[in-house]
Amino acid sequence: MKLADIVRLSLNSLTHRGLRSWLTILGIIIGVAAVIAMLSIGAGMSQNVQSRLSGFGADIITVSAGSTRAFGSGGTFTDRFQPGEPPFGQSSSNQSSSSTTSPTLTNTDLTAILSADGVEATTGIISGRTSVSYLSQSVTITVEGVDPSVWNTMTTSTVASGRLLESGDGMSVLIGSSVASGMFDQNITVDSPMLISGKTFTVVGVLKESGTGGFGGDDRTVFLTMDAARNILTSIDPSVFTSIQVKATSTDTVDATITSVTNALYASRQVTSDTKDFTVTSPTSMLATITSTMQTMTFFLTGIAAVSLLVGAIGIANTMFMSVMERTRLIGILKSLGTKNSEIMKLFVMESGIIGLMGGLLGVFLGFIVVGIISEIGFNLMGLGVRMAGGTSTSVAVVTPQLVVFALAFSTIIGIVSGLIPARKAASLQIVEAMRSE
Amino acid sequence: MNPVIELQDVKKIYQMNGVITPALRGVNLQIAKGEFLAIMGPSGSGKSTLLHMIGALDKPTEGKIILDGVDISTLKESALARLRGRKIGFVFQFFNLHPTLTAVENIELPMMIAEADKKERQRKALELLRSVNMEHRARHLPSQLSGGEQQRIAIARALANDPEIILADELTGNLDSKTKAEIMQFLLRLQQERKMTVTIITHEPEIAAYAETVIRIVDGRIAQGGS
Ligand SMILES: Nc1ncnc2c1ncn2[C@@H]1O[C@H](COP(=O)(O)OP(=O)(O)OP(=O)(O)O)[C@@H](O)[C@H]1O
Ligand SMILES: [Mg+2]
Repeated sequence: MKLADIVRLSLNSLTHRGLRSWLTILGIIIGVAAVIAMLSIGAGMSQNVQSRLSGFGADIITVSAGSTRAFGSGGTFTDRFQPGEPPFGQSSSNQSSSSTTSPTLTNTDLTAILSADGVEATTGIISGRTSVSYLSQSVTITVEGVDPSVWNTMTTSTVASGRLLESGDGMSVLIGSSVASGMFDQNITVDSPMLISGKTFTVVGVLKESGTGGFGGDDRTVFLTMDAARNILTSIDPSVFTSIQVKATSTDTVDATITSVTNALYASRQVTSDTKDFTVTSPTSMLATITSTMQTMTFFLTGIAAVSLLVGAIGIANTMFMSVMERTRLIGILKSLGTKNSEIMKLFVMESGIIGLMGGLLGVFLGFIVVGIISEIGFNLMGLGVRMAGGTSTSVAVVTPQLVVFALAFSTIIGIVSGLIPARKAASLQIVEAMRSE
Repeated sequence: MNPVIELQDVKKIYQMNGVITPALRGVNLQIAKGEFLAIMGPSGSGKSTLLHMIGALDKPTEGKIILDGVDISTLKESALARLRGRKIGFVFQFFNLHPTLTAVENIELPMMIAEADKKERQRKALELLRSVNMEHRARHLPSQLSGGEQQRIAIARALANDPEIILADELTGNLDSKTKAEIMQFLLRLQQERKMTVTIITHEPEIAAYAETVIRIVDGRIAQGGS
């Protein structure tokens, strides 16, 4: 029998079994859709994190006070994303709430870091959240005090309009793209006046969107010179920095620089790795930790989805066994008309393969819908604050063409494998006996 | 005479759940090319079993079946399938049409299995459909056909691959006498015009009368006629 005719006969049998074929296919649809959704969300999240973190320079190391080993050698989630507001919209008071007993970063640390190997420049930063008004509308925003002479050489941000801060600026502010448009009802442009803690500042520059908005990067931040910021963030001790930014001499030696900075701080702060009271991180190390955490999660969720796919496969095998039993007589007829055993096998395997392929196709389709819904909900749920519209949006879930191809191939293989044993049983039936059955 | 079908001491013993049923107890038979043979005998005597052996649908417990000089016990499964598909046309007692294929598709089925050209097999299926006067029922499923109509489709299907041998098991079973006569005339023409070898099983003497040779099977043995 020719392949085309085997396909034709298989389709004939599937369509004549109507609802039962569809129910079997449904088992695969659900499994494939679940796997697609889980893998896509995993891929989307890691892409998301990567694009967000790419806003930070790869050669910039952040030192913050306090230490926790919850995430291995690095700091906590919140530590990692300083400066700025913490991720996932937590209320942010950790930067400004350093009590007297908490470890702090001071000029001593700055000096120690500067003398460490592989350090090109370093600067202290203070940040906190405070009320900012524009045209009588008030919003609580992260305010950051920086030293423009050093900060300007370190930042990866560029201005969309106006200029960066300069050392002499007293009452000038530089604002992130989201501050300029989005956070206030009215868009803010260069030369506009803004009221911060009752004092009037003039906007001298607006930064381009960096994509790091959600994790408290530059987009949702107002930058001031250090002196101006100290006047506003009065809860921060005048000798204390919220964090210290370190620029490594080369992106290739960031890891070595992290080590030398850490050792320099051990010496100057007179602590050991056991009593460590500070955290040194780089975007790369953050990325690695977050990515591996997310991979574990994706792996786990996909595993659960895979179980439903397995149930679907058992469904196919079951249907095919039933189908062989019901069509015992037909198998006898086909053989009596000259069909070879191998062709009987092919017929049944083709049938289960088609069930698998159909399940895969529709499952991918359903997966797309689920991914779409989750993306929509995800933005709100996770508070990632990224808009769907526009070319600059970041997805929560990504369905790659490879994933689609893989899903189709995999579901087809599942179909074929589940059909093998029933098909073998069909092929081995004795003709006369088979034709006698009802 | 050069027999197209030869049976040498064929025995068939069914064994089911420890119960042994000897269906054929040693049958010797030669059927010449172009011969019209009728097999008669009481129910349960082994007629269908014998026909299944000749048609290579089942294997004898003992003895040899030689078709066209070839001992079919030496053939592999795929060669046997080929033989069933191309050399033999079977019309079964219970018609045995493909339930989800239409009448015309059923006639096409053996040609599909034999990998005939698609255009050619569709043309031929229609031609056969006409020859059994069933063209007005081409798109009907077997369940939408009467018994006599199904029988005619089954005959047309048996002829699809121009077999040398037609084997028919009680093909006139529940038909009226007019239809019976039509079908027998049709088989007779096939035998005479196309030199087909025709072997039928029947209970009815008036059907057996169409045949040149009649044998009687009783209790798994040829009781009368044959060789
Ligand atoms: N698969 C089987 N297992 C056991 N016994 C069987 C089997 N097939 C047939 N028989 C027995 O073999 C004997 C011959 O059966 P067969 O079908 O050849 O009879 P028959 O002559 O065609 O009868 P009928 O005229 O009623 O069709 C019967 O006694 C039957 O019960
Ligand atoms: Mg019988």
